Amino acid sequence: MSISMALFSPPISSPLQNSNLIPKISLSLLSTKRLSLVSLTRASSDNGTSTPASATTVEAPTPKPVSVEEVLAESPSASENGAVGGEEIDMTTTMMTEIKFQDAKWVNGTWDLKQFEKEGKTDWDSVIVAEAKRRKWLEDNPETTSNDEPVLFDTSIIPWWAWMKRYHLPEAELLNGRAAMVGFFMAYFVDSLTGVGLVDQMGNFFCKTLLFVAVAGVLFIRKNEDLDKLKGLIEETTLYDKQWQAAWKEPESSSSSTVSSKK
Amino acid sequence: MASFTLKSFTGLRQSSPDQTSFVSNVPSSLSLPQRRTSLRVTASRASPNLANRKLRVAVIGGGPAGGAAAETLAQGGIETILIERKMDNCKPCGGAIPLCMVGEFNLPLDIIDRRVTKMKMISPSNIAVDIGRTLKEHEYIGMVRREVLDQYLRERAEKSGATVINGLFLKIDLPENWDTPYVLHYTEYDGKTGATGQKKTMEVDAVIGADGANSRVAKSIGAGDYDYAIAFQERIRIPDDKMTYYEDLAEMYVGDDVSPDFYGWVFPKCDHVAVGTGTVTHKGDIKKFQLATRNRAKDKILGGKIIRVEAHPIPEHPRPRRLSKRVALVGDAAGYVTKCSGEGIYFAAKSGRMCAEAIVEGSQNGKKMIDESDLRKYLEKWDKTYLPTYRVLDVLQKVFYRSNPAREAFVEMCGDEYVQKMTFDSYLYKRVAPGSPLEDLKLAVNTIGSVFRANALRREIEKLNV
Repeated sequence: MSISMALFSPPISSPLQNSNLIPKISLSLLSTKRLSLVSLTRASSDNGTSTPASATTVEAPTPKPVSVEEVLAESPSASENGAVGGEEIDMTTTMMTEIKFQDAKWVNGTWDLKQFEKEGKTDWDSVIVAEAKRRKWLEDNPETTSNDEPVLFDTSIIPWWAWMKRYHLPEAELLNGRAAMVGFFMAYFVDSLTGVGLVDQMGNFFCKTLLFVAVAGVLFIRKNEDLDKLKGLIEETTLYDKQWQAAWKEPESSSSSTVSSKK
Repeated sequence: MASFTLKSFTGLRQSSPDQTSFVSNVPSSLSLPQRRTSLRVTASRASPNLANRKLRVAVIGGGPAGGAAAETLAQGGIETILIERKMDNCKPCGGAIPLCMVGEFNLPLDIIDRRVTKMKMISPSNIAVDIGRTLKEHEYIGMVRREVLDQYLRERAEKSGATVINGLFLKIDLPENWDTPYVLHYTEYDGKTGATGQKKTMEVDAVIGADGANSRVAKSIGAGDYDYAIAFQERIRIPDDKMTYYEDLAEMYVGDDVSPDFYGWVFPKCDHVAVGTGTVTHKGDIKKFQLATRNRAKDKILGGKIIRVEAHPIPEHPRPRRLSKRVALVGDAAGYVTKCSGEGIYFAAKSGRMCAEAIVEGSQNGKKMIDESDLRKYLEKWDKTYLPTYRVLDVLQKVFYRSNPAREAFVEMCGDEYVQKMTFDSYLYKRVAPGSPLEDLKLAVNTIGSVFRANALRREIEKLNV
């Protein structure tokens, strides 16, 4: 009895997915008693039979309907989100094959750049957007890889200036604008308080330090969340080392007493 | 007072048995507070010769770590006992060994079922990159069956003079003085008596804990806990025409659907493939991840039949205490699994061998009693040799497994030939080879570029969500 992970699935219409039977399928694992029983819950549409399968030396028949149903359950819900790039995908009633990413401009596993041309030159922005849509689609509906239709697209064919123009420059503009506004008012404020003009402020060592701190701060901390992220990063970088050095550290008095206690 | 007694103790050179009783009271008072990294106690050099017997060491666990340790101990002239609870144990395992292991441990080539020379890394958006172009003719990753490898190493240990006992380790009685023996409690399984065995005890001078991720030896000495990943694997027998694709190719799938902090894999074994995945942080969703892995490989394993389902914990970092007095942990019990790749077999065998070598040296081929400082030498040597490797892999895991954009960048980077060469060199030969600085610079620039592009695409995706 072999499992055929079928490409073909029974037709499913959208109201059905709401009224589903949810059988519990448990798979018991082989090996020692230390492994615990894991239970698996899946939504099924037409065949509501629950098949408790023990996957010892006998093959488990349950994964076959499970994987098919999972694809089915996911894809109709994904299409209803509407945020899908593959406009040509027919999602209406009968589905004979599972949904794969499809797009007129996606040819042979890569984007056909000729279709992205605008006024004789490739419109890189739309290539970027198209690739983002494809990735979003795949995140919601993971697809099988296949040797017949390999994905060959490489993001490095998009030139560096297209990325700069689209992502780096707007953010840089924003940050520079903010920095300029803050800088102007700080200069005015310090001048009104101390009477030191802008040129003299720049000559002062303390002011130069403050400026340096401000620039570094703006570069690393752009949003409030960045502060926590940086703290987490610093802790993360040193954690592994700490775990390795633990063998060389003094045990605390409580643990040393447990070790030295005579049994 | 304590220092005076220390001096008199190290002054002892040849001691006859009647003097040992005088000596034994002293070290227990100074052993705990004094013996730290700053004060190097060289008591072992002057420790008394064992009167008319060899040093007795028990190795608990008969996997690669235990087998290698027992062989080295027996060859060094030490009375070795290897205790293994299941002689035909099929440990759930990826089964990949690097090339250097074949040479270093003199493994016969028929132990290796397959030689993997190509790998495919598949990103979350199914961009597939082929790795292995830079491998030379004689280089490969060996795929073994654990039951075959473990049995071979145990047999070799037995031939070298170790006693192999089929039994289940229960607990150790810790000794009161520094040179009184450990008392091992174990259940011996006689071939005939079936399930329940006989409870037995044994006195040994030192113990090597090689009993795996759920080590009982580690519990007995209070070694502490570690974070661990659950690796879940299904062995699938696929039709022959699909099997030819996996003849010498292994696949790695990365993505949030497959695992949030690890990867899914398809590894070829002797006549079937092993499809699996693992995770540390979302252990409850492991079944979901396994289904996603099978889904991603669906076309290539279509028509397959699951013949076995298995799972096992994988340590993520070493235990806080890897040795205590004359008990040392090696292999998975110590937590010597690398991050990023999850490789453990080679490090288990190597640590078993290193620990055994330290015992052989410290006891001068079984003539003297050993103590904790000899075992600490093994820890020092291990950390010095392999800590850079572990650190690099940890950094790789932290940077490249944290999110889908990072994984996309990772797969893109793996397409670069320089990366492939460096990766395989360090994996196959376990040395962090210095590359050329210019290429390193280019690599750094490319890495930053890939990460930037992938993150930019993610921001685009988030914009689409709105």
